[in-house]
Amino acid sequence: MNKTQLLQGTLDLLILRILELGPNHGWGISNRLQQISNDGLKTSQGSLYPALHRLEMRGEVKSEMTASENNRRARVYTMTRSGRKRLNHETEVWEAFALSMRRVLEEGR
Amino acid sequence: MIARLFATLRGLLGRRRIEGEIVEELYDHLEREIEAHRSRGVSAEEARRLALRDLGGLPQTLESTRAVRATWLDTVWRDVGYGARVLRRSPRFTATALTLLILGIGSTTAIVSIAYTVLVRPLPYADADRLVFLAEQEGSGIAWPNFDDWRRRASSFEGIASSLADAVILRSGPFPQALDSLSVTADFFGILGATSFQGRLFDQSDVRPDAAPTAVLSHAFALREFGSALAAIGQSISLNSGSYTVIGVLPPGFRYMTAAHVYLLLEPQVAANYRTMQGRRNHTTLYAVGRLKPGVSVTSARAEMQNIAAALALQYPDTNKGSGVYVVPLSDRVIGDMAPTLTVVAGAVVLLMLIACVNLAGLLLNKSASRAGEFGIRAALGGSRWDLIRQLLIEQALLVFVGGALGAVVGAGMLAALVSIAPPEMPRLNEIRVDVVMLSWTTLVSGGCAFVFGIVPAIKASGVSGQLVARSGRGSARSAPALRQGLMLAEIAVATVLLSGAGLMVHTMIRLARVDPGFDPHNLQTLKFSLTGPLWPDTRKQVFYEAVVDRLRAVPGVDNAALTYSLPILGSNWWSVFSVPGKSAEHWISVGEFPNAGMVPVTAGYFETLRIPLVKGRYFNQSDTPDSLPVAIVNSSVARKYWVNEDPLGKQVRQGFPAEPFGPWRTVVGVVGDIKQEGIDRATSPQVFMPIVQLPRATAFAIVRTRGAVPLWSLEAAIHDVDRNVPVFNDRTIDQVMRASSSRRRVAMIVLSVFGVVAVLLAAIGVYGVIAQGVAERRQEIGLRMALGATAGQILRLFLRHGLLVVAVGIACGVLMALAAARSLASLVFGVTVTDPATLTAVAAFLTVVTLVACYLPARSATRVDPLEALRSE
Repeated sequence: MNKTQLLQGTLDLLILRILELGPNHGWGISNRLQQISNDGLKTSQGSLYPALHRLEMRGEVKSEMTASENNRRARVYTMTRSGRKRLNHETEVWEAFALSMRRVLEEGR
Repeated sequence: MIARLFATLRGLLGRRRIEGEIVEELYDHLEREIEAHRSRGVSAEEARRLALRDLGGLPQTLESTRAVRATWLDTVWRDVGYGARVLRRSPRFTATALTLLILGIGSTTAIVSIAYTVLVRPLPYADADRLVFLAEQEGSGIAWPNFDDWRRRASSFEGIASSLADAVILRSGPFPQALDSLSVTADFFGILGATSFQGRLFDQSDVRPDAAPTAVLSHAFALREFGSALAAIGQSISLNSGSYTVIGVLPPGFRYMTAAHVYLLLEPQVAANYRTMQGRRNHTTLYAVGRLKPGVSVTSARAEMQNIAAALALQYPDTNKGSGVYVVPLSDRVIGDMAPTLTVVAGAVVLLMLIACVNLAGLLLNKSASRAGEFGIRAALGGSRWDLIRQLLIEQALLVFVGGALGAVVGAGMLAALVSIAPPEMPRLNEIRVDVVMLSWTTLVSGGCAFVFGIVPAIKASGVSGQLVARSGRGSARSAPALRQGLMLAEIAVATVLLSGAGLMVHTMIRLARVDPGFDPHNLQTLKFSLTGPLWPDTRKQVFYEAVVDRLRAVPGVDNAALTYSLPILGSNWWSVFSVPGKSAEHWISVGEFPNAGMVPVTAGYFETLRIPLVKGRYFNQSDTPDSLPVAIVNSSVARKYWVNEDPLGKQVRQGFPAEPFGPWRTVVGVVGDIKQEGIDRATSPQVFMPIVQLPRATAFAIVRTRGAVPLWSLEAAIHDVDRNVPVFNDRTIDQVMRASSSRRRVAMIVLSVFGVVAVLLAAIGVYGVIAQGVAERRQEIGLRMALGATAGQILRLFLRHGLLVVAVGIACGVLMALAAARSLASLVFGVTVTDPATLTAVAAFLTVVTLVACYLPARSATRVDPLEALRSE
């Protein structure tokens, strides 16, 4: 796993986590990302949209253009079943990884 | 297939929609972001700036999002764009490759289309593979009574029909007009499987004795005469001396052997004993065509017909003894003697295509060798091997596609040009068109060649470690030398084959041009005329002959004129057995052959007009009249054969078998020189001439010796001055006849020579390329060697030695291949053997010189390498 893949995977995971709470549009997701991470996990908005579209191409989210306030249309993303599966799987991997890291780091302290 | 197409289309349309939506989505994001900033009290302008900054720039984000959506189609499209740029940036490479492709694909498509149409495609009749041609022997026809017995007795056929090609006179309009006609038995069209375009074709009701005369027209003639096929039905036309009702019109393009304007019934002509058709000995130009029963082979049909012919010979020994039967598939007969020419020409073009492919291969090899650096850098930058191969595939597909499209256009043009120069006797000319299957094949072959020779080295190159290439600076990895030398060898070998074929044909044409025809063939104009029907008793013909000759001689520019029954070069129209006094039939049977000769009724002045030398005695003159002593003039062949060591003058000859004579005894009054009556490439044959006034014929040729150009109309007018109702047709000069008779060979010579020269050129370029590439790759080595004291001669030898070896082996292989292929030229060469050592030696020597020069030029440039500069460039 190289650096770019790790970061990309992280972003995917965060997006899926947000969408688990309910359908949302791009700006909403980006706003949520900032809140969740408390600016600690800074993600650029520029990489958000390619990530969203990639997730859609992979079938892990689906999107729909819906009418929103003042005559605009917004793309609203919803998590699919396969997205939920991935989220669960990756969450487990992360937890296992974090656990191992903590053990190593706290050993002998 | 269609579903896939729709899916792709939907994808393309959907993509445009999605792109618009991405823009909309990003705008939506920006507006929300700006609003959020504004609500925190940021100025409008600042809010905009912040929003754009956080998004990382609108165009960039748009592009990266769109890239996620990109499909394989977008990738291919991008590669096509890049490929086109690469090809545009190296115009010399692209132009050369395209020229090779266009040349190869174009000429192969044109020639192979012709060969395929003429030789392979089934004849345009229903179930044409079951049609066979029948005659009593090769090159002859059948006597009607024999045909009648054949069709009654044979059980191999569903039916046998016969046809007689003829000319009829159309009596409408200001002048009578000669039409080509085909007289056929009532079942002829049924057996061919032809159907009518309008009206109906012949059936048994038309041959009842009380039936009115009927005619079927060709589509073109119906259009010309009546405006439309439908309008022709029920009309009546005057042909010869009768009137015929048009009952049907054939489909456009229908033809059997030769084109005909009108089709008449044969049975009434037989009943009227037209052309003495009821005799068993009269096997003129009546041909038969049979439709085999399903499952019956040509071989078994031939065996049955041979039994029938043998039975007929027993039954009618006087006439049928020794006569047999000739049964071949109809397509063999139609294709006739064009087959060898076409095979040779098609073989030549395939060889040329091969050379073009080999050169293309060499070109692509060089190209990928010189791009090894580029490939290495791309690999080092993370381009996958597949990316690289896909890119090259697309570049080559682009080349092949453009080359194929242009090649098709050029091929169609070449096809039209070839059809226009093709010998008129070439069969099935009207059926020829660009064959899509052939075009696809040639394009596929060149595509395959491009693939193998362009991609394979590229795959190898892509395996080269990027580091290695980057470090070596120029990255011109040594390009597969063995492969390229193999290609060079193949090119030289193929060029040798083509050039020796061309050499043999050139040799043949020179030999033909040197043949002495026995007369002066230049400035001889000929015209054919016809005096048929009850209006022309023999006495009237005799008067007409004399008047016409006088009138023709009076035309300004005419030196001399005469009439004849057979034109020289074109063959005898009348072969006949003859007898001499004191020799019985038994004598000739013991000799093995009855005396026979071409019988040629001519007017006085014939020999003088043609300038045929008199060997002995006298020419015909005004003293030879219808009532004077029947006389004959023989040619030297006859004199030599039948009066060895005797004086032929005063001897007598008579047409027909001893027991079955025809005409009076004729006294030989002169001996003339032999001429090439049967064709310039044939042996001279025995000929017996007699005064045409003593033997009037309905059809004859006027032959006129002119000084310079005499307008044709003045000659026609001279004949019409005598009688304006005589149809005059088929005008040509003897020069034209001679040219036409060698047209098969000329086509073979032209094609082989053009292809041979192109092949040599391509081979020379190929050799030059290989050596030059070697020199370019080894510049530093050369510099080093020179720095270490090597002389220019040593450097030259270094490159020449290797090139010469390949050249020598290539020429040797080529000579062996030429010897193996020689048999295909056997029926085309004349006066030279197909394995003529002189031709092969000359070709080998010529190619050695050309390739030597092609080797020497780049090798010499190696000796001019400046060692300091070469070493510094390392």
